[in-house]
Amino acid sequence: MTTRTRVILGVVASFLVLAGALAPAVAETSANLPVETFTLDNGMTFLLVPKPELTTVTAGWVAHVGSANERPGITGISHLFEHMMFKGTHVIGTRNIERDLEIIAEQERIQQQIRKLTEEQKARWRKGEIDDPFAAENRTPELEELQKKFDALAEEQASLMVKNEFDKIYTGEGGSRMNAFTNRDMTVYFITVPANKLELWFWMESDRLAHPVFREFYTERDVVHEERRLRTESTPTGKYQEQFEAMFWESHPYSWPVVGWPSDLRAISKQQADDYYDTYYAPNNLTAAVVGNFDPKEVKRLAQEYFGTIPRGSQDPPQVVTMEMEQLAEKQMIAECDCQPQVEILYHTVPFQHRDSYALDVLAELLNGRTGRLYKSMILDQKIASSASASQQSGKWEGSFSFYGETKGEATPEALVKAWNEQIARLQDEPIPDEELQKVKNQILASSYRRLSSPFFLMLQLLYFDGLGDWQYVNTWTDKTLAVTAEDVKRVANEYFKAENRAVARYYRKAGTKAEEVPPELADLPAPMRQSMLNQIKQVRASTDLERLEKGLEGLQQQKQQVPPQFKAALELMEKTLRQRIEELKSGEQTAEGGE
Amino acid sequence: MKRLAILAMIAALALTALPAVLAEVPAHPSELKYGPLDFKVPDPAKYRHELPGGMVVYVGEDHALPLVDLSITVRAGAFLDDPAKPGVAALTGRMLRRGGTKTLSAEAFDEKADFLAAQITSFASDTSSGASFNCTTQTLDACLDLFFDMVRNPAFDTERLALEKENILEGLKQRNDDAGTILRREWGWLMRGRDHFTSRQITAAELDSVSRDDLVAFHEKYWLPKNMMVTVSGDVNTEAILGTLAERFAGWKSEGPDVPWPPKAPAHSPTPGVYYVDKDIPQGKVFIGHLGMQDADWSNPDRYAVAVMNEILGGGGFTSRITNRVRSDEGLAYSAGSRYSVGRFWPGAFRIVFQSKSATVPLAAKISLEEVRRIQSEPVSKEELNIAKASFIDTFPQAFESIESIVNTFANDEYIGRPHDYWKKYRDRVRAVTAKDVQQAAKKYLHPDQVVFLVVGKWDEIVKGDPDGRATMKEFFDGKATRLPLRDPLTLEPLP
Repeated sequence: MTTRTRVILGVVASFLVLAGALAPAVAETSANLPVETFTLDNGMTFLLVPKPELTTVTAGWVAHVGSANERPGITGISHLFEHMMFKGTHVIGTRNIERDLEIIAEQERIQQQIRKLTEEQKARWRKGEIDDPFAAENRTPELEELQKKFDALAEEQASLMVKNEFDKIYTGEGGSRMNAFTNRDMTVYFITVPANKLELWFWMESDRLAHPVFREFYTERDVVHEERRLRTESTPTGKYQEQFEAMFWESHPYSWPVVGWPSDLRAISKQQADDYYDTYYAPNNLTAAVVGNFDPKEVKRLAQEYFGTIPRGSQDPPQVVTMEMEQLAEKQMIAECDCQPQVEILYHTVPFQHRDSYALDVLAELLNGRTGRLYKSMILDQKIASSASASQQSGKWEGSFSFYGETKGEATPEALVKAWNEQIARLQDEPIPDEELQKVKNQILASSYRRLSSPFFLMLQLLYFDGLGDWQYVNTWTDKTLAVTAEDVKRVANEYFKAENRAVARYYRKAGTKAEEVPPELADLPAPMRQSMLNQIKQVRASTDLERLEKGLEGLQQQKQQVPPQFKAALELMEKTLRQRIEELKSGEQTAEGGE
Repeated sequence: MKRLAILAMIAALALTALPAVLAEVPAHPSELKYGPLDFKVPDPAKYRHELPGGMVVYVGEDHALPLVDLSITVRAGAFLDDPAKPGVAALTGRMLRRGGTKTLSAEAFDEKADFLAAQITSFASDTSSGASFNCTTQTLDACLDLFFDMVRNPAFDTERLALEKENILEGLKQRNDDAGTILRREWGWLMRGRDHFTSRQITAAELDSVSRDDLVAFHEKYWLPKNMMVTVSGDVNTEAILGTLAERFAGWKSEGPDVPWPPKAPAHSPTPGVYYVDKDIPQGKVFIGHLGMQDADWSNPDRYAVAVMNEILGGGGFTSRITNRVRSDEGLAYSAGSRYSVGRFWPGAFRIVFQSKSATVPLAAKISLEEVRRIQSEPVSKEELNIAKASFIDTFPQAFESIESIVNTFANDEYIGRPHDYWKKYRDRVRAVTAKDVQQAAKKYLHPDQVVFLVVGKWDEIVKGDPDGRATMKEFFDGKATRLPLRDPLTLEPLP
C-alpha cells in the first residue's frame, strides 16, 4: 500500500510540472461537438456534422421503436422488421409490382389458413400427441398441401423479383458498411456513401420509408430463426443469458429477448408487420444523422425534397406503459454449460439521463481497467478471476448495473460473488481517494475527444443517444460526469447495491467438459463410467438433501465389498465425497457446489 | 470544393424560388446524376521521413482534435519462434505493456498510464510485432517518457508473467466451448498443418515452459531500432516530433542478427474430403475450401480478377450469389458467403463459410458448390461485373479517409513490400477486369472437387439431410467422412 501511494504522488507531481497547477490534467476543456439540426414539417429531425476533409458521407436514421414496444405474441417483430426494410419497395426489387402485390396478398391468405391449422397442431401438442407443433414431419396432409401452394407462389414471385436490388444499387455506387441494428429501445439503419453520391442516400432511404414492400416475409422469418440459433442457441452462454434477463426484468418489456421468443417468431404475420410500420415508422418517430463532406444547405434541400413529402403519422406512436415492479427479494440462477465458470450480477438502477446515472458511470470506471478495483482485488490480489468488469446500462425506460466475472483456476463463482460484495461494501463505507477519482475524470476528459475521432462512430452515437431520448447527451455527458463527487458515488452505491435489488447468475462448467480435472481415483475407469462418476460427484456436491445423501452412503458401504478391485478407488472417492457433503450440511455451512 | 459551394448556392436559390413539393424526384436511382468525386491518391513522399540513423517514420498532421497516435512496428513475430518453444514472440508482445520497466513496477506503470489517460499497448502477431499509444496533446511528453521506457527497458515482471500465463490458461480451457473456436482451429490444421506458426496451437505444458528469460532474450534480439518503423498522426508538428523521436531512439543498441525474411512457408498440403467434429449445438458451422492463389508483387492481373470473381461468388454480401441463394432464396443461414485471400509468401486460401440448422447443412453446401461450378462454367452477367467492380473502385478512397489511415497504409506497404504505386494503379487494374477474366480466374483458382469440407455440429442430424430430401451428406465424397476428435483443451490430445 505504501508503494502505491508514493506512485500516485509521483504521478501527480510530474503532472503538476507538466501542465501547471490549475489546469485540468489531460486537456484544457472537454470536447464540444457542434451539430446543426432542423426538423421537417412532418416531424422528422436531422442532425448534421459537416466534415469537409472527408471524401465520404456516413448517414443513418433511427426509428424510436425497439423490442420494448412489443407485446407477448409478437416479440421479435422489431428486429424482423429491420430485416424487411432491405427487401425493396414498389420500384426496387421487382419487375412487376402489380403481380408481386397480388402474390403477397395471396400468400397472406394461405398463411392465415396455415396459422389456423397450426393452432390445431398446438392443441395436439398440448395433449402430448406430437412433440413439436411446427416441425415439418408433424405436418398434416392439409398443412402439407397449403405449404406446397405457398411454395409455388414464392417461386412465381422469385421469377419476378430483382433479388436484393436495394443492396445492389448501393453497392454498385460505392456504398459501404450498410447495416442496421435493433435493440430494446431503437432500430437504426446506416451506410457510408462517396461524398458526391449523397443524393442516392436520400433517394433510397425515403423510398423505403414511403413505399416499402415486405416481400419474402416468411423466408426472412426463417433467416431470423437462424440468427437466433447462431447468436443465442449455439454460443456457450447465450441461451442462459437470455433466461437470466427474462428473470431479472419482472414486469418490464425488457424481459423478452430482442430477437424474440421462438414461438412468436413462428407466428408473426405480415399484417402485424404492416400495422407496426404504420404506427412506428412515421417520420415524426424518426431522426436522421449525416456526418461527412456535404453542404448543410444542400442537405436541407434534399431532405425537404425527399423526406418532406412523407405524411406525418395519423397519431403519435404509443409509449411503453408497463413499468418495472420494485424487486422484493434477491433472485438467483444456477446454470451448467460448456463454459468457464462465471458470474453475472444485475441490479436495478436508473434509465438514460437520470441524474444518478453519471455517478453510476463513474462508479463503474472506478471498478474497471487495469488499475481499477476489480482487477486489483480479484485478478491481482486474490487471483480468483481471469476477467472482471462492471457497467451501468441506461436504457430509455429502465436501467441496470451489471457485474461480470470469469473464475480462474479452482476458484468458484461463490468466491467471485463474495469478492464483489466486498468491493460494494468498500464503495458504500469508505470515501474515494482524490487521486483515484481524478484518474477516472482524466480518462473521461480524454474520452470526450476520442469518441469524436471516427465519423462513422460519431454518426452512430448521435443516433444511439437520440434513440434513447436526446442526442445532446453526446455533449452534456462529459461535464455532468466530471461534476460527480466522491460523496455522490458513495450515495449511489448505498442506494442501488442492495441484495433485494439484484439477480445473481452463477455458471458452472457442465460435468465432463472439463477434461483436465479427472481425479486420479477415476483415471483407470472406462470413459463412460468415468463420466457418470464425475456427474454423480458433482450432484453430490450440489445436493442439499441430507436424507438422500445418507441413504446413498449406506448403500455404497453395502456394495463396497462386492465390487471388482479396479473400481474400488472410485468407490472410495465417492464415499469420501458423500461424507464431506454430509458433514458440510450438518455443520450448517452453506458451501455450494462448483469445485473445491 | 468550389464546385460544391456553387452547387449549394444554386440549390439554396432553388429552394427559395420554388415550393419544395414541386421539385422533381427521379423515378429510379439510376436516373440520378452525380458530380465528380474530389479525391486524389495521397503522395507517400509527403509523409515519409528518415531519422538520422535511417529509421523510417511516417508522420501525418491532423489538428482537429488534441490527440496524438504513435506506433512502432517491429519485424518480429511468431515466425521467429523456435518450433520447440512456441509462444515466446506472442508473450513478449503481450508482456511488454504488462510487465513494468526497469525503473517502474508493473503497478506503477499502469497507474501512471491510467492517470494520464494514455492508451498504451503492445502486441505480437504471426508476422509482425509492435507497440502504440494514443494520448492527449497536453500529456504527449509524459506519454512518450512512459512509452519509450516500456519499449526500451521492459522488466517482464515475473509475477505479472505468471498471472498472464494463468489467464491465458483459462482461455485455453475454453477451447471446446464455442463451436467457432473449434472450427477455426481444425481448419488451420487441415489447411496449414499443425506445425506452421500460423496454425500452431500452444499446449498448457508449452505455455508453462515459457520463462521470463525467454522474453528478455527475444526482446534483446529482435526489438531493435534496425527492425522498426514508426508512424505518428494527429496533433503534432512534423519537424518537432521528428526531432523528439531522434532523441528518444538515440543510444539504443542496433546490432543484432538479421531477421529471416520472408517467413517460412507451410510444408503441409491439405487432403480433400469431409471432416467433422461432433458437438451438440442446433447448427452446423461450416468451412469448405482449399489453398489458393499466390502473388508476390501485386502486379499479376489475376489478383484483381480473383477479387472480382469472389465478390460476385460470395464476398459481396447480399449482392453475391452464395448469400443470395442460401440466405435470401432459401432462408437456410443468417450468414453465408465466401472469402478468397491471395498469399504473398505462400498460397492464399479460398473458403465458403456458413452456418445452418443441422438438417440443412448438406443442402446449403450443395447450393454453395453449385454456385462455384456455375461461375466456372458460364460468364458472369454484365450487371454483376459492374456492381462488383464499382464496389471496389468507389469505396477505394476510404483507405485514405483519415490521416491516421494514410500513414498506416503507407507504412504497412513498406513493411510487407507492397509497391506504393499499387494504390495509383489499383482502380485501373480493377476496371480492366472482364467477364472472361472472371471466368478464367474461376477455372484456374477454384477447385470444387478438391475441397476440404469441415463441419462442427450434431453429426447424426447433419448427415441425414433435410426433411424434403433435397440433400444429404452422401452427395459429398461418396458419403465418406473423417471424424475429428474433440481435443483435450490443455494437451490437445484426442478425447475419447
